[in-house]
Formats: sequence, C-alpha cells, structure tokens
Amino acid sequence: MQKLGSFLLASLFLMTGTLAKSQTIQFEKYTLPNGLKVILHEDHSAPVVAVTALYHVGSKNEDTARTGFAHFFEHLLFEGSENIKRGEFDKYVTNAGGALNANTSQDRTFYYELLPSNQVDLGLWLESERMMHAKIEQIGVNTQREVVKEEKRQRMDNRPYGSFLTEMLKRAYKVHPYKWSPIGSMDHLNAAKLDEFIQFYKTYYVPNNCVLSIAGDINKAELKKKIEAYFGPIAKGAVVIKRPNIKEPPLSGEVRDNIYDNIQLPAIFHAYRAPKQGGDEYYAFNVLSTILSGGASSRMNKTLIDSKQLAVAAQSVPFFNEDDGLFIALTIANMGVKVETLEASMDSVVNELKNDLVGEREFQKVKNQITTDLVDSKATMAGIAESLANNEVYFGDANLINTELEKYNKVTREDVLKVAKKYLNKENRVVLHYLPKEKTSK
Amino acid sequence: MKKYIYSVLLCLPFFTMAQTLDRTKSPAPSKAPLIQVASPVKFTLANGLQVFVVKNTKLPKVTATLALDVDGFKEGDKAGLADMSGQLLKRGTTTKSKAELDEAVEFLGGSLSTSSQSASVSSLKNNFPKLMELMAEVILHPALSSDELEKVRKQTISGIESSKDDADAISNNVMKKLVYGTNHAFGEITTTKTVNAIKVDDVKNFIKTYWIPNNAYLIFVGDIDPAIAKALAEKNFGTWAKGSFTQPIYDKPAIPASTYVAIVDRPASVQSVVAIASTVNLTKGSPNDIPSNVMNNILGGGFSGRLFANLREKHGFTYGAYSSISPNKQIGIFSAEASVRNEKTDSSIQEILNELNIIRNTKVGDTELSRMKNYLAGGFARSLESPNTIAKFALSIAVNHLPADYYQKYLTNLAAVDAQKVQEVANSLLNPARMHIVIVGNAKQIAKGLEKYGPVKYFDIEGNEVAAPTEVKADASLTPTAIMEKAIAAIGSKEALDNVKDVQLKGTASLMGQSLEMKQTIVMPGNSVTTMSMGGMAIMRQAVVDGKYSITQQGQEAPITDDLKEGLDESATLAPEQLYLRKGYGLKIVGGEKVDGKEVIDVEVTTPLKKVSHRFYDAKTFLLVKTAKSEEVPGRGTVTQQQFYSSYQTVNGVQIPSEMIIDMGQMKINVKYTDIKVNQGLKTTDLK
Repeated sequence: MQKLGSFLLASLFLMTGTLAKSQTIQFEKYTLPNGLKVILHEDHSAPVVAVTALYHVGSKNEDTARTGFAHFFEHLLFEGSENIKRGEFDKYVTNAGGALNANTSQDRTFYYELLPSNQVDLGLWLESERMMHAKIEQIGVNTQREVVKEEKRQRMDNRPYGSFLTEMLKRAYKVHPYKWSPIGSMDHLNAAKLDEFIQFYKTYYVPNNCVLSIAGDINKAELKKKIEAYFGPIAKGAVVIKRPNIKEPPLSGEVRDNIYDNIQLPAIFHAYRAPKQGGDEYYAFNVLSTILSGGASSRMNKTLIDSKQLAVAAQSVPFFNEDDGLFIALTIANMGVKVETLEASMDSVVNELKNDLVGEREFQKVKNQITTDLVDSKATMAGIAESLANNEVYFGDANLINTELEKYNKVTREDVLKVAKKYLNKENRVVLHYLPKEKTSK
Repeated sequence: MKKYIYSVLLCLPFFTMAQTLDRTKSPAPSKAPLIQVASPVKFTLANGLQVFVVKNTKLPKVTATLALDVDGFKEGDKAGLADMSGQLLKRGTTTKSKAELDEAVEFLGGSLSTSSQSASVSSLKNNFPKLMELMAEVILHPALSSDELEKVRKQTISGIESSKDDADAISNNVMKKLVYGTNHAFGEITTTKTVNAIKVDDVKNFIKTYWIPNNAYLIFVGDIDPAIAKALAEKNFGTWAKGSFTQPIYDKPAIPASTYVAIVDRPASVQSVVAIASTVNLTKGSPNDIPSNVMNNILGGGFSGRLFANLREKHGFTYGAYSSISPNKQIGIFSAEASVRNEKTDSSIQEILNELNIIRNTKVGDTELSRMKNYLAGGFARSLESPNTIAKFALSIAVNHLPADYYQKYLTNLAAVDAQKVQEVANSLLNPARMHIVIVGNAKQIAKGLEKYGPVKYFDIEGNEVAAPTEVKADASLTPTAIMEKAIAAIGSKEALDNVKDVQLKGTASLMGQSLEMKQTIVMPGNSVTTMSMGGMAIMRQAVVDGKYSITQQGQEAPITDDLKEGLDESATLAPEQLYLRKGYGLKIVGGEKVDGKEVIDVEVTTPLKKVSHRFYDAKTFLLVKTAKSEEVPGRGTVTQQQFYSSYQTVNGVQIPSEMIIDMGQMKINVKYTDIKVNQGLKTTDLK
C-alpha cells in the first residue's frame, strides 16, 4: 500500500497546491465598557440572523459538591426574566418563526436564537434580559430540576450506552474537574439552596464573561447602536471568576472495567489521554481521527464493519478541551461477535497507525475530507457565529475561522505517526466494555 | 485597546436611546425582508434530461441531485424492491467494488448518496467534475451484484423484524393499507416475504424501467456557472439512453362510507397508538394548498397546535398529539395522531374528533391566526439559508406543474389567508363522519365503548382483517381453586410431584443473536438457584437456599426486598399453584382469551404483599401457557413483562416446559432447555 502510495506522489503534490481556499469570513470585534465582547458578521445572502451568547462557564468551573450547576443553568435561564413571564421565553421565538436552543460543555455554555432577520431585535432583547435580570426563583429551580432529571433519564439512563461519558470521565481523570460530566449529580442539585444558584448567576452570567456573536442579514451600524442600548446598561460582574488551574498527572497504567447496561449488543470504548486543544498535536490528532473513522472508506469502517463484519458501528471521537482532553475510539459489536475478538481488531487498527506511516494517497484523501468539512462548517450563520465565539473564548483569536485550514495543511504523515506513538498506548488509556444486563426479577 | 476607546465613545450618543428603550415589551419586528427566491437556469438535453442550475457562490461547493419524477412504485408481491434497488446503486459499479467506490468518492473529499428515486453528489468546486463522473458511473453502470443484494436484503429484513414490535410502525403500515388499499402504490407493505422474493433481475429491471433521462431532473446548486454545468451534464449524461415510462394513474381510493374503528390487538401494549386519517383531494399549488397548511398547523402543528394543548397540556393523556396534511398529485392525506395511555384511548379519540369539529364549526381568532402565519413565514425565511431549498423549490415547481413564481409569492399568499378561508378548508377537507380510526393497542383493555364511533373491526399487523379476539368464557362451574387444582394435576399426580426431589434444567437463552447459558436447579423443598452466564462468566444469579435469599447481578449483590423473596419462593417449586392455594393469596378468574390460537383462562393472583400477576391456563389441558405482570418503571411508565411457556416434556411423570419466551416489549429472550434431569440426588450443599 505504501509503495503504491509513493508512485502517486508526484501527481498528488500538484493537487495539494490547488486545495480550495475557502473565502474569508469578514467580521468586526469590539468590547463594551462592561466587558461584553461583541463579534458581528454581516451576510445578506438569506434573510436570516443567528443571535448567540457564549458564556465562559462549563462544568469544570463547578464546586466538587455542586456538580451539574453549569448545565442546570442552561435550563434555568429559559424560565424568564423581570420582563419575560415564566414559560414565555421560547414562545417569543417560535411565534416569530424562529428556533432556539442551548448547550453546555465542560468549558462553556452556549445559547442561540435563529430568527428571520427582521426579528433581530427580539434576539437582542431575549439575550439581554437573560444576562441582566433572569428570574432565579424556587419555582423555576424546582421545575427545571425535574426536567433535568427527566433529561438524564432519557439521554443517559434509558439510552443504550448513554452513561459512557460519565463512566469514562471518572476513570480518566483523578484530580481535574473534567472527572465529572456536565450532567453532574442529581443529589448535588437537590441539595443546592436557591442562594447558591443566585450566586452562580452573579458570578458567571456577567457581560465580562460573555461573547455576543451575531451573524447574518444585519445592518452593522444600526445593530451596534441597538446592542449598546440593550446590553450597555448591564453591570460588569463584581465577583472574581474561578478558573481552575489543575494539571492532571499521567494515567500510568491501563484502567479496565465492565459496565452492564440495558443493551443488546456489547460495545467497547477506548479513551486515550490526549493533549489540550489548539496545539500542533491537536491538529495532527484530528487528522488521525479522520483516518480512523472519517467516512465509509476510513480504516475502522472498512476493516471492522465492512470486510470483517465484527462491528455494526465504529467511530473515533477527538474529545478535546481547554485543558488536557481524550481521544476516544468506540465500536458496537455485531450480533454474536465476542468482545475479545472485536477488541483485538480495534487494537490492530490502532497499532498500524503507530507502526507505519500513513500512505500518501490515504493521507491526501483525509486532507481533502477535512478541507470539505471546514467549508461545510461555514454553511450556516449559526455555525459561523459559534465558531467565531469559540475561537475568541478559547484562543483569543476569532480569526482562526479563516486560518485553521493552514494549520491542517502543515500536518505531515510523520506528525500523525508521532502523536500515535506518543499517546495511543495501553498504559495511557481507559477501557470500558459495555455488556448486556439481565433482568433480575423473573 | 484602540477598539475599547472607540466603543466608549460610541456609547455616549446612544445613552439617550437606552433611556427610551422599553424593556417591558418584546420589540416589534422591523419591516419584513424582501424575499428573493432565485429562479434557476433551465435547459434540456437531447435525451430528455431536464437540467436546472441554481448558482450560489456563498461557499466554494457544488451539489448535484438527480431526481426521478415518479409518484410511488407499484411493487406488488415484491414490495421493498424500489428501496433496495436505490441502496444497491451505490454499492459498486461494473469497474469498481463498493470499497473502491467509497474510497474514490472520499478521496475527492466528497459524498455520494442514492435512493429509490434520486442520487446526489456534493464536494468542493475543484473536485466536482470528477465526482460527477462517479455519479454517472453509478447510475449508468451499476454493478447490482447478488452479493451486495444479499447484504441489503439481510439489513432490510432485520429492520422489518425489529419493527414488528414497534407499535408506531404497525400503525403506519396498517393505516396506509386501509387508506389507500392494496391496488394503490401508497398502500403496499414491505414484508419479509416480499423482500425474500426479490431477485437480482428484478433490481436490474427496476433500474432499467425507472432510471431513464426523459423522466428525470438534474439539479446543480452552488458555485458553478450554468455553462460549466451544461458541459458536465452533456459529458456525463449525454449518452444515457432514453426509455419510456408513463406514470400510472392509480384508482382513487374511496373514503369510508362512515367512520369505523380498526384495532390491531397488541396485548403487550400499555399505550395505544391512535391515528385518525383520510385521503384528501389536495394538490400542491391548488387554492386550498396554503390555507390547508395554516389550518393544519392551528389544529395540530407541533407544540403550539390545538391537539397538543388539549390532549397533553389540558388532559395529560399523552406526551404529544399532532396532525399533518400532505398534498399529492394523485391523492393527498390528512392524519391526526397520538400515543395515549390505555385507559384514555376512548377519551383521546373523542377529543381529537371534537377538535376536528371545532375547527370546522368555529372561526379561528385573530391572535391565533396571525401567530401561526408568523410562525410559517419565519420558518420559510429561515429555510432559504440553505441553497438546497432553492433546488427543492425548483423541483417542486417542475413536478407539480406550479406557476414559476409560486415560492416568490408564497409569503403574499400566506398573508392573505383569513379566518373565513381556514374554516372553509377545514370543512371541505376534514370530515369526522368518514374517517379511518386505527388503534394499535391492548384490545381487551381498550375496545369497550369504541362502537359509538362506528363499526369496530380487527386487523393483523400487515393490515389483513381478522376475527375479533373471541371473548373466551371460562366454564362457569370452575372456581379459582378448582383451576389451581386442575393446573397442579396437569403438571403431575400428587405421587409424581412428591417423588421429585431435585430438578436440573440446562440450556441457552438467546436475545438478538447473543447466546447465553441458562441453568436452573431446584432442590425440594424450597431451594432454587438460577444462573445466566456468558462465556462462563455469570451475569445474573438468583437463589434461595436454606431460607437464605440472594440476587447477584454482575458480581454485585442486590438488596433483597420481601417482594423478591416471594418471587424466589415461587421459583423453587414445580407447581407454584400449590403456594397460591395457601392462605394470604387472592385468586380471581378474570376471563379468557386466545394465546397462539389456544383458548386460555386468565387467573389473577394477588400475593400476600399485594403484588398482582396474571396466569393463563390452557382451557383444555390446564397447563400454564403464559404469565403477565405489570410494573411501574421510573421514567418509562408501566412496563408489562410476559412469559410464554411451551414444549412441555414429561420427566418422571412431571410436565416441565422446555421452552420459554420472556417478552419485555422492546426486548425478547428465548430460553430453550435442552438438558433436563430429575432426582440426581442433589443436596442444598450442591447449590453453590
């Protein structure tokens, strides 16, 4: 395979030179006196606008006795504000023909409204109400606590393999707050007093901890005035924001466990400890991940699903964060396949990456796939607004949206081999086997 | 820093504006944006292939979709052929294996997909010409190999098998058969039998018949000049030979003379899937098209529809209730659906019919109407963000013969819909007196009282009419005690039962192809150990030995409750009926039904701890045929577990079922005991 690859080398180099350069995303970035960062991207190709607010608070900012707070807020802050009645927040958006939602990671919480562009003011009003004086009341806390419990039941307890992230994180980290997942502990949420929620809001939901990123069919000059009017009067946060600075020591030795779940097909999860996002190794890892599971012709798909028919699903997931992350490879066994057989094949696919340079043609294929993916990530206003905000918060560089392709282009086959050798080792991983649970009662 | 100062300056002049801002009200929308729906460049190749090009340079990407203009495929006893043929298209060509084709597409950073009546490719602009070649290769020279057909067949059948337990899938199948009838392409049901009847030649014929240029559209969207698109279309599809195809006009399905109820009996159901539907004379672009969409959204569109407000928010019958209306060139359909608690089946039908009557008899209020129109207008505007929307519009205009400015005028026409018109379309399209009401649920619990909606008929899961589950009347002379005594006698004479000192059953338990080892040992009196293991590793062990109870799951001891003790005691005997005759147990004959064609008597057993279960005895032999037990599971509501017993074997004069099916709705375990031994001289010390 490798030899065939070098034959094609010359012609491929020509192609690399002509890799499509996607057009630049123009944006303007400024900061209000209260510390709110604003990023605006103007695009009149469709009458839509994405109004987004990214707060730099995730589960890693939580107290060890109050896990789940960051995610809980993602729910609580739809309850209403001084001027928005309970339960009305989302109705304003749907009645305007818009859509809205939010999500929480270990590092940040993200809210968005997608609206017809003549409703952009509605987005500003809703987000500024949320930041200025959201209602943090017992009744809302009680309601959302039940909703979060139901969400946990639906997404983790009742969904096959749904507990894997929680189970994985608590074994992969010992000291870093990444050791719990954003859903957190229901006991902690039950124990928390209203006052603690109010304190969390006052600490993290402040303009100086937020990026307001808006993309779409907007008139920038006009919009800036409105942003000033809606967000200008919100006071800067008075509390010092806690940013954990904890270095997780190496795993030093494979951790292995069985989890019994309501499933029919066993699954294997391998999580290798990995570097943090943004560095050279991070880009090499993303290339490596595409080699393993990007599309039907990727190694895990081709070997484990198609030719050997050992698995019905195979995926690698770069789980990278602000601090040291994980690289996860997972498979779901085909009917009647022994877990040991499947695991041996998974290991041999990974070992090939450590032993041999990736072939030239395959390497080029993966670069081409990544180039397409980067272009696709700019297909919607929501995607652009989120990328700009993420890049600003994580790297202080919103413009990374325009330069990321260069970082991928710099990755060599040797870089991939190097990260594979450095990180994809047994003593650096957690292994979970998900096995079918049987009902005890007869 | 510079920007910081800039923004400080900025905020001064607008201070006054901040003062006047009224935060107590939501801001009014500004003037609606002028919506421009681009019209595509169009041309036709010599072989009849119609090509549309929608240029959009936002991203350096191009997508091409080839779509056939076919309204349903009449497949007869080969139902499933169209879908499987569509899947086979991208599983290799005459010169490339599936793996080679996948690699070729992904090397270009592109994607390729195929279905029964469309194929689509997408990639960055620079690789697009090569991707077009691959698309043409797939359509003009597909391999359609028997190996790949077998793979697709296997996947399709496993999908059908798993949907047999899915009440929603059953409801869909039965409804389409009843609404459209078997003579209509839309009324066909894909079954294991029809899938197994499909041969490679059928697939080849299908592709030859339907995949022809003179009945297809090729639509380019993205960063591509019409001239280049034309050259690519000519080069790749210019040689595609013409065929002939005339769209069959199916007989218009008659709507029922009067509303009736179709029940698909599913005894395991704790929820009824209720669907009320009928065909409607509604075509895209007709004067009723947009008004009917507004009407349907008011009635049952999502969280803000009336059905949701009534059945979920007001009554709490269900998690969601919705309606839909779809225009079609030949015949459209209206449907309202909800999954409701068993005991609320009747009330839910009543409430859905009430809502149909209300929207027919009463004008919708201004607030509700304008809210719904805003919602639809906003959704329309947002959909324009995707260039594919424009392609979809162009295709819809072509295949539905709509005016060229249909979508350009959509918002104006939407705005013109008034309360009068909404009521008019409700009256012309919805007729509560002539509907199909399909219910998939537990007939015994839900059927009572439904005759008031119309005649009640019964159907199997493939939509064939069957006899009503007969009300099996238990012999009036029988008392529950007599049944227990007969059941014990059926297992064995007193002497035979007393003679059994120990029993050991060994076999396998299989679920979804996974095979587990199963073993149960009973040592009289009252000791039992059951283990389930995989590869020698115990997954579950439950035991009662010398009065000690234990349940171990994956090596972990579960806490023992009194309920569990009761259950374990029942497992430590060949005839638990002996237990039920003791003081403290309550017995009641509930009625009868049929299990696998056999008449059975349903006896409800209440334990001293008030746990209720049902035992079904063969009305002739009095052997146990089935047990059923419902439990509240947090977050999932009531879950019913049924166990079926069969293949009784006589061992030392005692009847022991050698096969057992444990049915938990979503999951089924089949247990087969292949090795049954009695009186090996086992002691409780052997039960370790």
